[in-house]
Amino acid sequence: MNTAAAKFAAPADIEAFSQAVRGKIRADSKVVRVCIGTGCAAKGSRKIYELFRQAAEQSMDDVKIEAKCVGCHGFCERGPIVVVEPGEILYQRVEEPDVAEIFRETVLGGRVIERLLYEDSATGTRASKAEEIPFYAVQKRIVLENNGRIDPARITDYIAQGGYSALAKVLSSMTPEDVIAEVEASGLRGRGGGGFPTARKWRSCREAKGKPKYVVCNGDEGDPGAFMDRSIMEGNPHSVIEGMLIGAYAIGSEQGYIYVRNEYPLAVEHLGTAISQAREMGLLGKNILGGTLSFDIEINRGGGAFVCGESTALMASLEGRAGVPRAKYIHTVESGLRNKPTNLNNVETWANIPAIINRGGRWFADIGTKNSKGTKVFSLVGNVRNTGLVEVPMGITLRRIIDEIGGGVRDGKRFKAVQTGGPSGGCIPAEHLDTRVDFDELTKLGSMMGSGGMIVMDEDTCMVRVAKYFTEFLQKESCGKCTPCREGLAQMLHILGRITDGEGQVGDIVRLEELADLLEGTALCALGKTAANPVLSTIRYFRDEYDAHIRDRHCPAKECRGLFRYEIDEEACKACGICLKACPVDAITGEKKVPHVIDQDKCTLCGTCWEKCPFTAVMKV
Amino acid sequence: MPTVTIDGQKVRIKKGLTVLDAAKKAGIWIPTLCYHPAVASEASCRLCMVELDRGDWRQLITACNYPVRQDIVVYVSSERAEKARRGVMELLLARAPESRELAALACRMGVEKTHYPSVTESQRNCILCGLCVSVCEQVIGRAAIGFAGRGAERTVAAPFRQASEDCIGCGACAAVCPVGTIKIRLHKDEREIEISPFKSRAKMVLCERCGMPMYSGQVSREAMSKVKIGRKAFTEYLRLCPKCRRTETAERFASVPVRRE
Repeated sequence: MNTAAAKFAAPADIEAFSQAVRGKIRADSKVVRVCIGTGCAAKGSRKIYELFRQAAEQSMDDVKIEAKCVGCHGFCERGPIVVVEPGEILYQRVEEPDVAEIFRETVLGGRVIERLLYEDSATGTRASKAEEIPFYAVQKRIVLENNGRIDPARITDYIAQGGYSALAKVLSSMTPEDVIAEVEASGLRGRGGGGFPTARKWRSCREAKGKPKYVVCNGDEGDPGAFMDRSIMEGNPHSVIEGMLIGAYAIGSEQGYIYVRNEYPLAVEHLGTAISQAREMGLLGKNILGGTLSFDIEINRGGGAFVCGESTALMASLEGRAGVPRAKYIHTVESGLRNKPTNLNNVETWANIPAIINRGGRWFADIGTKNSKGTKVFSLVGNVRNTGLVEVPMGITLRRIIDEIGGGVRDGKRFKAVQTGGPSGGCIPAEHLDTRVDFDELTKLGSMMGSGGMIVMDEDTCMVRVAKYFTEFLQKESCGKCTPCREGLAQMLHILGRITDGEGQVGDIVRLEELADLLEGTALCALGKTAANPVLSTIRYFRDEYDAHIRDRHCPAKECRGLFRYEIDEEACKACGICLKACPVDAITGEKKVPHVIDQDKCTLCGTCWEKCPFTAVMKV
Repeated sequence: MPTVTIDGQKVRIKKGLTVLDAAKKAGIWIPTLCYHPAVASEASCRLCMVELDRGDWRQLITACNYPVRQDIVVYVSSERAEKARRGVMELLLARAPESRELAALACRMGVEKTHYPSVTESQRNCILCGLCVSVCEQVIGRAAIGFAGRGAERTVAAPFRQASEDCIGCGACAAVCPVGTIKIRLHKDEREIEISPFKSRAKMVLCERCGMPMYSGQVSREAMSKVKIGRKAFTEYLRLCPKCRRTETAERFASVPVRRE
């Protein structure tokens, strides 16, 4: 079969095409894969790719060398990432001057450049392949399997890796009921936060009365610190499209929408390219693969409202109205977009579908815990050594994610808490680090799975401030439609502000708990109902910090201005005079060879001395 | 017809009607603010919270828009439902402390004062229930006002917070406002009606006889296109203010020669 400008007419064409593409790859061909995911791109990987491309073009013809843009590898901490085939040699923190050396030594010469390899900070050993690095070794990659391998802008690359074979399988040998049964067997639950069983949603939508039916992909990822969906859309857009096609077949839909944040320009671009390529090849449109399925997808760009990730707000926004939620007493699978049956799933949920169809629901169900199957992608961020995107089997402990994959807390600090589940999630303390990560276990701890944000916090983090930060975020992002969310969050923020300002009152914790209870019970949508989780979970596990703020007017983490003092350690002070000169209010006295002293009455707690002292003699107490 | 059991009392209502409809039929009062029979329920104020029996647990729901599809059991006067309603009311009182209408409703619910300080006020005494927005769009068909801003910054406003050309000065928004925040102001000298706080104004029709401003000219034109009355007779009817109409009718009678037996 011709590998250019093909249009598939039957399911069998896909496998034939895939083989043809793979057959063209010569055994001696070499590929340089440059990560152009957002993290690496921000560190200049586009330019690095360009240099490799030029080098490949200028090289001799006797070896086939290809430079390839690929999506996020997940190891954003160490970007830009470059992988050289054959050998799968992974170079990290590659800079422009390194390109020529990599090309000469590794690509042409087949020699490994030691200094660009990952070095384990504990053992000092270097790893040349991804699987030798602890960050990757503990992970299990299903959704992210091809991220970092394929060029997201080339459909042929996706098909060569087995892409669209699940669609071919579905269309050639499965009924819609079979598809739903397979997804049911997998135990897949929604990855967007709610954790609703995907198959049950599909079946309800299939059985709902009314036509047309819509399938929608929720790509409005907005949690602070989360970039799972972003990386999937940017790095492997066809997996989402293939998932949606299979869903559309199972549900009986002819029109799909991908709602993606406009702040994700690369995701919008790659999805757009992917959709038009899929159309050209007959994978979207009328009578797909010569069968009865007709389906097309439109991209809708969000306008930057966090609440548009909520299903009914998202649908209102899709309809061109303001993104404001409505009551869901009648489910969206019955009456959603334009009052028609609508099936909304998150990006990661859709991207799991092709693998489930290809390898079977039972294979998927073998991974994970009793009620949470498969893997989950987390964006591991915060005070952890290896920040990045990680995919782990459900049931792995938080400790393994943070210590083994994340490499532990950075700068030798002590671990304090990990925040999971985004702004509606909660903070989990050290004593629960051996909890297995699944939907139910995290909920039991007062947090949630959410869409997969994971923020690690060290001992210097004030938990009251953390609660205040998330409350403030939610208060700003609340649509303001319903009273408890709009007014209740403002009241909570008012109390939290007062506590962190050292003006907390006895009874403030009870007031916060009352408001939290009111919000949970009476708010209109999930944003409001779960908005108090950060406050509740920090009260539950870090009540002593609240008490210290309120009763002792002291911030134990020394983050809240005014709730701690600066003092100079007599022993450590070298009497250099730097702080003395830097102090804007002349609060520091001292002379040569005499340790300096801060006049607490004059000090405005600006922190300049603390920042400037080269001997860390200035302490927060 | 499904049966709704409210606080032990059974009522049967048409499928698809709401818990609030059932409560009304049962003669049980549930406080509401953003509910109005003329418009679709948005359930934004969250004042009409009641408890729905889900078997092994109870869920707080809004009575005004929860559709009755099968037999259900709800509790209006349970402790949790009352606490929820009181909590919402206290938040609203903190937002709109000067509204007498709101205070009266709170009083009827047994809420005497709020424990919360006033921390939000993007629009004086507006509780953002949205009835004005809904009535303008769904009943009047103008959508001259809408929501602007988000969260605590949310307000009801005409586009760009300017006087709206779409406003016909009908005053329906003021009529449905449950807290008396929207007011109609007459500017007799300019022969204009103003809907406050939206700044929109409409020219008024004057009584042909005494010159008193009667109603917005646009409203009468809109009404003409909607009402099925003999147009000529109706126009004639709208020419005068009620007082002058009485006087004119009396005069007409007086001018008719008295028939003698």
